[in-house]
Amino acid sequence: MAKKLIYALGVLTLLIGLWGFYDRLVFGEQHVNYGSAVVWGLWVAMYFFFGGVAVGSFLVASLDYLFEIKAFEGYGKPALWTSLVTLAAAMASIGFDLGHMERIWKAFVQFNPHSGIIEDVWGYTIFGVLALIALILALRGQKGTTLKIVMVLGFIAALYVAGAPGKLLGNNATRPYWHMALLPLQFLFMALTSGAAMMLLVQAFLSPKEPAPLATLVLRVALIVLLILSAYSTWAFFSQSLYGNIPSLIASVKQLTSGQYAGLFWGLEIGLGTLLPLVLLFVPDLTKNKLAGGLIGLCVLVGNAVARYLIVVPGLNVSVLKNIETAHIGRGLTLSYSPSTIEWAVVSGLVGIILLALALGTDYLPLYKKEA
Amino acid sequence: MSQETTGLLEKYASEVFAGLVAPALEGMEISAAPADDLLAKEDVLVRMERELKRALEKPASERRWVMVIDLRKCIGCHACTVACVAENKLPPGVVYRPVLEEEFGTYPNVTMKFLPRPCMHCENSPCTEVCPVNATYHNEEGIVVVDYEQCIGCRACIAACPYGARTFDFGETYTEQLPVIFDGVLIGSKTAAAYEHASQEYGQAWKREGRHESPVGNVRKCHFCLHRIKDGILPACVTTCIGRATFFGDANDPDSLVSELISKPNVIRLKEELGTEPRVYYIV
Repeated sequence: MAKKLIYALGVLTLLIGLWGFYDRLVFGEQHVNYGSAVVWGLWVAMYFFFGGVAVGSFLVASLDYLFEIKAFEGYGKPALWTSLVTLAAAMASIGFDLGHMERIWKAFVQFNPHSGIIEDVWGYTIFGVLALIALILALRGQKGTTLKIVMVLGFIAALYVAGAPGKLLGNNATRPYWHMALLPLQFLFMALTSGAAMMLLVQAFLSPKEPAPLATLVLRVALIVLLILSAYSTWAFFSQSLYGNIPSLIASVKQLTSGQYAGLFWGLEIGLGTLLPLVLLFVPDLTKNKLAGGLIGLCVLVGNAVARYLIVVPGLNVSVLKNIETAHIGRGLTLSYSPSTIEWAVVSGLVGIILLALALGTDYLPLYKKEA
Repeated sequence: MSQETTGLLEKYASEVFAGLVAPALEGMEISAAPADDLLAKEDVLVRMERELKRALEKPASERRWVMVIDLRKCIGCHACTVACVAENKLPPGVVYRPVLEEEFGTYPNVTMKFLPRPCMHCENSPCTEVCPVNATYHNEEGIVVVDYEQCIGCRACIAACPYGARTFDFGETYTEQLPVIFDGVLIGSKTAAAYEHASQEYGQAWKREGRHESPVGNVRKCHFCLHRIKDGILPACVTTCIGRATFFGDANDPDSLVSELISKPNVIRLKEELGTEPRVYYIV
């Protein structure tokens, strides 16, 4: 029943997405709402989010194949598949965001080694290749030294790319909101959190097997710890600028605490994505319920996605030069941003692809077959 | 109003004006303006054109193009903004040289400050560092340029620019989705599109023929009108400035006007504390 729901949801969201894909590929970026002031929007936020889920899922797989924790036996293949599927969605999301996605090959051939984007591109590529090799080896049942080496390398790559988006943004001294040493660490915590949450979701809605009680317990405890760490890093991240109290430096943070994004921040990121899951994770009866675990995972993922959006957009919608936003009028020159329907449609399509790929993988790949 | 009435009004208005002004001018010697003196005073544009040609005789790496903007003279007419749009055939949403306005004081003590903001062409430019594919860089003269065929459109350089000097080309045109009524005739968007001329930036014709061809999908910015400079013509914003508030030239030439201007103590650069070393100076 749960899987049918995933299939139905996947088809529906993909159908909406097809309209978005068509519009983006035919009309270019004419129907997006990001512009020359707020240069990155929903697609970049989703790139960070899906990329984080991919990394987090890989790290869950490493509990099985690298650290060989008995409780996580059997989690490796579904986690690797989830990692690859979400990584593909992340790459598609950032691809749609590029003005010339057909030129991405230049990032491998004619690259600037000083660019943070290049570190992301190369990091994710190496990570993706290693995750793919690991999955192929695991599907073939080759749980030997080769898989272990691949997992070690993949683990290092995963840890690196988990924080890389934070480094990419944090390097930008023009944007005080991002220019914090803590940002890469915050991205790492968020990636780990989303990986654990995604696994709860997968085992609740897709796994044909009953989840191992010990693994579920570990995942939930890990989620409690990671949620607290994520919330702590958010507080630390904000407090640095808030205590400084220099108006230009706190303009972005104030949008979240008491400005236009207060509803999203307090309601979805903190309320739905952090506090509610934390409370529910402490209820003993719920920890035994697979579906409840899945819904807790879903709440965490929604909060996590919102958190990425609230890092990307408020960093950009503040003026870099006094009165520049009123100096000219035209397409994309405003500081206000909310995603267009095409942007939402593309994200819907990517979610649809993830849901369908996960469901199809469960049905047609030996993800849950016990290894010899 | 009939022609007869207009003529009558002009006649009497002139007589009334003459009657009012004549007593005030009584005893004053009125003569024509000394034409020789006016002509003897060379327009700064002529001097800058001459200096530009002199600079072009040097190897490119020995030139240091700078722009100087006299904020005391700027009246906020936006002629430079418009000239830049016309020169580079900039589409909607792409602006290289806006004029920032700020109002000071309260009535009746109110004044306006205008700040034209081209690209600063920083010597330590944050925008070039972040480009993943080296599509934006300093050319041999030190001007920050964009290679449209290399740019992947990631917009990281826009996010990194401390001066907001870059904009993205989303592929819009001024004639899109028209039916256009031109001179009373419905001519349609296709005919109107013929009025969208190719930009000549970087010495190449960039026609807007598709939704995916460069410079659509690229980041665009002021390039000091490089295509004009190479032909010995000053940037469009300089020649259009009605107050002669914008100056351009080679700062490596000690005899140039810009060298004279930037050696004064009342010269500033925007966000100088960042250490980006802008090549645009403001006289305040």
